[in-house]
Amino acid sequence: MKAGPIEILSGVWLAAVVLVAILAPTLAQHDPTQPVGPALTAPGARAGLGTDALGRDVWSRLAWGGRLSLSASLVAAALTIAIGGIAGLAAAVLGGWPERIVLWGANAMLAVPGLLLALLLVAGLGTGLPAVILSVGLGGAPGFARLARTAFLQALEGGYVDAAVALGAGKTRIAARHLLPNARATLLSLATTHFAWAFMGTTTLAFLGLAGDPSTPEWGAMLNAGSGTLLDAPWLALFPGLAISLTIVSIHNLGEHLARKGLPSSARLT
Amino acid sequence: MSEGLLASLSRRVLSGLLTAWAAVSLTFFALRIGAGDPVASLLSQGLATPAQAEALRHDLGLDRPLAIQYLDFLGNLVRGDIGTSIYTGRPVATIIGEQLPATAELAASGLAIAAALGLGLGVLAAWSGRKPAGRLSAGLANLATSLPVAFIGILAILGYSLVNRALPGGAPSAVRHLLLPALVLGFASSGAIARVVQFGLTESLQAPYVLAARARGLAPGLRLLWHALRPVLPPVISLGALEAAYLFGGTVVTETVFSRPGLGRLLVSAILQGDYPIAQGLVALAALFYTASHLLADGAAMALDPRLRRQA
Repeated sequence: MKAGPIEILSGVWLAAVVLVAILAPTLAQHDPTQPVGPALTAPGARAGLGTDALGRDVWSRLAWGGRLSLSASLVAAALTIAIGGIAGLAAAVLGGWPERIVLWGANAMLAVPGLLLALLLVAGLGTGLPAVILSVGLGGAPGFARLARTAFLQALEGGYVDAAVALGAGKTRIAARHLLPNARATLLSLATTHFAWAFMGTTTLAFLGLAGDPSTPEWGAMLNAGSGTLLDAPWLALFPGLAISLTIVSIHNLGEHLARKGLPSSARLT
Repeated sequence: MSEGLLASLSRRVLSGLLTAWAAVSLTFFALRIGAGDPVASLLSQGLATPAQAEALRHDLGLDRPLAIQYLDFLGNLVRGDIGTSIYTGRPVATIIGEQLPATAELAASGLAIAAALGLGLGVLAAWSGRKPAGRLSAGLANLATSLPVAFIGILAILGYSLVNRALPGGAPSAVRHLLLPALVLGFASSGAIARVVQFGLTESLQAPYVLAARARGLAPGLRLLWHALRPVLPPVISLGALEAAYLFGGTVVTETVFSRPGLGRLLVSAILQGDYPIAQGLVALAALFYTASHLLADGAAMALDPRLRRQA
């Protein structure tokens, strides 16, 4: 399956975001937390992308903000995938009461809608970026566990598992040698979906003002700050808003591409 | 109503209540263990003297063992008492009751818009397939699921202000305060509905019973569409119920973007202040609402699809 123009554009955008995030210390000419000139300068040749309501350089804040938003959501997604994946694997392989506990716990947590669950965890953990990361990571885990269990159960259906059992393989060996490799394609597309969710979650909680110090450059917090001066300086909200949206859309596009690539060629639609 | 249906309904009610209980308990322990002592934050902000803090702690029952607090909390919950706010000392039920109408109004209009828009986009995407109209609808549905609600809201406000400047005398305030937020919320929730309708309808348009109907001479039109759409509706209704519960999360952001009063902003401010009885009450409400909407959706799905009644 070849990548179309949309997949290529998505890949280019994500690569650019990652590159800027890594090179933020060199690419940003100014301290993102210190004023560099008059407030609310429009984007132009001289001022780069302009300045915000406190006179800080918008480009520097965007670059550092991308670094923070991206790494925060990566950590959150890693938490989701590790906890949810292990719970899902245990449920699928062990069956019986471990499976019942995982499913019951996941369902109970899913009775509180996603964002609300993360909000609730923030309430328990306190505000600030570490709490936000932990909340988003834990908040995504029950959903991931349920879907990962289904993926592992599907992989268990293969004849190779029966063959391995007949050969006397134990549960650990079956899980490591057969389930993980065979569920890989499904897990990968699940993981991208949950990464997009983690990105949306962290930036949304930051937008709501729960990520602590508002002077810290972070895309969600910048979107919130920009919405205060929306009619005088719309670009202050448009830049971070577009950056968040493009990143999420790109992750989704690449995730769908990966999911289609993972299918056997006979099942591909296009 | 048969015996089997009654038994399956009561089983669902019971499992729904169990789920709600688990969610509420989870909240209780997460807040008590994680948030630390809410009275300490009052003290550190200089809002209470040590003696007052001690009295407040006693009033709130915070000086008793956690297990006793939990049993107390459950007992009060069953009697419909969900505590008082730490900051204002007013009953949480009253505070929630004051903010509920604003959120209910927003969520109900948002859900109506989501259902209409989701059905419309989904049907168009399946019916027109690869034609421009079909591609446009599928693309819009994709955007609806992946754009952050906050950004959609900000774009809507910007667009509105441009139109408002162009209109002589400006637009009526109901547009700014209800229609615009409801549109944003509805659009954001319509994407998932549209995709389920699109996939279901694409499949059922090729199903044998639709082919048979066409062979009998039913022309591709509204009647054929209804014929193909009916079996797609039960999962759409289940999803609609899920979306109704998830709208609650969406209202948090929408209310913040549009500076609208409501439960969402109440929750955010309760979290920022560490006012845990309010947060707890709101989560209990959300869990109950989720359970109730699921039960309603199950009932509606059974009414629409006779096959589901036999399975139950």
